Amino acid sequence: MSNTNQCDVLILGIGNMLMGDEGVGVHIIEKLSSIELPEGVECLDGGTGSFLLLEPMQRARRVVLIDATIDGQPPGTVTRLTPKYAKDYPRTLTAHDIGLKDLLDAFYLLGDPPEVTLYAVSIAPLQEMRIGVSPEVERSVGRIVELVLEDVGIGAPA
Amino acid sequence: MARVVVDPITRIEGHLRIEAVIEGGKITDAYSSGTMVRGFEKILKGRDPRDAWAFVERACGVCTTVHALASVRTVEDALKISVPKNAELIRNIMFCTQMVQDHVVHFYHLHALDWVDIVSALKADPAATSSLAQSISNWPKSSPGYFSDLQKRLKTFVDSGQLGIFANGYWGHPAYKLPPEANLMAVAHYLEALEWQKEIVKVHTIFGGKNPHPNYLVGGVPCSINLEDVNAINTERLNHVGKLIKDAMTFVNQVYIPDLMAIAGFYKDWGAIGGGLRNYMAYGDLPTAGYNQPESFKFPRGAILDRNLNEVYDVNGRDGEEIKEYISHSWYKYTVGDEKGLHPWNGETEFNFTGPKPPFEQLDVEGKYSWLKTPRWKDHPMEVGPLARVLVAYARGNAEVKEVVTETLAKLAVPVDALFSTLGRTAARGLETKLVVNWLKGFYDDLLANIKSGQVSTFTREKWDPSTWPAECEGVGMTEAPRGALAHWIRIKDGKIDNYQLVVPSTWNASPRDAKGQRSAYEESLVGTPVANSEQPVEILRTIHSFDPCLACAVHLYDPEGRHIHRVEFN
Repeated sequence: MSNTNQCDVLILGIGNMLMGDEGVGVHIIEKLSSIELPEGVECLDGGTGSFLLLEPMQRARRVVLIDATIDGQPPGTVTRLTPKYAKDYPRTLTAHDIGLKDLLDAFYLLGDPPEVTLYAVSIAPLQEMRIGVSPEVERSVGRIVELVLEDVGIGAPA
Repeated sequence: MARVVVDPITRIEGHLRIEAVIEGGKITDAYSSGTMVRGFEKILKGRDPRDAWAFVERACGVCTTVHALASVRTVEDALKISVPKNAELIRNIMFCTQMVQDHVVHFYHLHALDWVDIVSALKADPAATSSLAQSISNWPKSSPGYFSDLQKRLKTFVDSGQLGIFANGYWGHPAYKLPPEANLMAVAHYLEALEWQKEIVKVHTIFGGKNPHPNYLVGGVPCSINLEDVNAINTERLNHVGKLIKDAMTFVNQVYIPDLMAIAGFYKDWGAIGGGLRNYMAYGDLPTAGYNQPESFKFPRGAILDRNLNEVYDVNGRDGEEIKEYISHSWYKYTVGDEKGLHPWNGETEFNFTGPKPPFEQLDVEGKYSWLKTPRWKDHPMEVGPLARVLVAYARGNAEVKEVVTETLAKLAVPVDALFSTLGRTAARGLETKLVVNWLKGFYDDLLANIKSGQVSTFTREKWDPSTWPAECEGVGMTEAPRGALAHWIRIKDGKIDNYQLVVPSTWNASPRDAKGQRSAYEESLVGTPVANSEQPVEILRTIHSFDPCLACAVHLYDPEGRHIHRVEFN
């Protein structure tokens, strides 16, 4: 049963786990879910949940978003961004397609938007239907987990 | 001749692109193409049928729960499992919740901006907006101060240059007909709907354990009922669900329906545009006496041909001659030849991409041009979705549906024929929401009564063990996603999935032409649609959005020489 109260930090992985590297965000959430996180830090496998993600995002003070991006960089490249408005996100961020980042702007109209940190993981443009990520992206997964943990104030696991 | 290309980009149900030919200010032909390959079928082969729901739930980011429902049903159908009454009720509650939430979100967040001019709202008089709001509804958030405050926030937002969600509208386009006050009221409700929708989905978390991917279970539902147990469906959780349902009824009846009627009143001309196909089909859902008794469904099953509401045909998903998928214009190959149709139990998913390498300007529509197969019912192209459900129920003589339809037509002073249109599709979505939210309350009350009478079973273990299964069996699980008829077909062999095929609503509506050259619903609905300004084709958005494609979109425009003019994105 998920919590319905305010949370300090929401680590939100986005992507389709049936689409190879496209599911890297969800893949990282699976890794994180085996690590004990401090109170107030929650993990969520967001899938491609679009509007369904507004509720968890709205009750978080801060959101750490992990998603795949097709930005021409070598697969596995990680970019940390602190976007404020929809236009600050990479255009080809896959979450863009579900309109999620556009809706983040609605938070500004509603007042009190969460602070968003984005880890954009570069992937190749064509993804096959397959479960699990490619070796190139897999090599970056451990590093991304460390970065995210440091970001939310936890040292990397020994 | 201008060729307008609508190229929606999404991963939700597959990318979709539409190419429309415009002559003399009207669309004369249209082609719809799914540009992303799907291959769930391949991923599922060889897996345990009891796990399939967890994979197909990922087929769509919006309709997670209905794909899971179709999946557990198809396995139960194959293994002849009947679920306990509480499981039927809880599944119905999940279904209704999703439909109500999805329809409200569609109306306000995916479709309203085709009719509502945000920038015009800045010119509204807050006092006059308050009078307007109070004249159509008892909804309490309607004071002049409330609208004045919202207008100020909107102005700050627009002045900041961060239009964001509102950046891609064709503000000021002459096709926008609402007065500034109606626009301001609609913007207020756009934001209120955003707040409300995040509450109602908690019903899925309560019964499904988590969201956006709630848990399902072959043989029942994966939650136990125990009024005293903190970890089960207990009194506190049931009370919470009751409150969420009550709030949903209030929101639908006091906000959504009055807004829909007010906005529709300004756009009655759209009651004669965008009709498209003359055939409609619904699989139906919301069983009240078991999935194998379609006559007990709240949403009846059936097909209508040539808009004849005096006759409804039965639809049988198991009959090999009824539902077939064609690939004459799809990037697949069949072992029986590409001109033949295959029933989903014998379905094949062998890719055969012959299209151009992206990026490209135009598709070769004479040959194969889509990743979507073309499903047909007895070789007829069918529209699926809210309008099809409402028409099938109306034609079946369903009293509740007849009443709301008749009342609405009278209120808008439009003829029955106005249903066969873009406006009719949008209105049908609202009308069924009004019914579904009442049914939701009914199923909840039935669940409480059942529990009070001592029935707490939510799962049947009989047939859980694969050693009790036949060596080979087949099933079909039919349901209604918010955007239309959805079914999964399974063939189980030696306890494993031998074949699994999904035919989703977007495949019915958005598929390419069939072997006979007959257009599917999107293609047909665009023919005849007027486009006042091909640089700002808001008319195309209105009709395509009326189907509720769960797609984020991009429009590419071409001048008569085929040169790229510009690209406009919309959601």
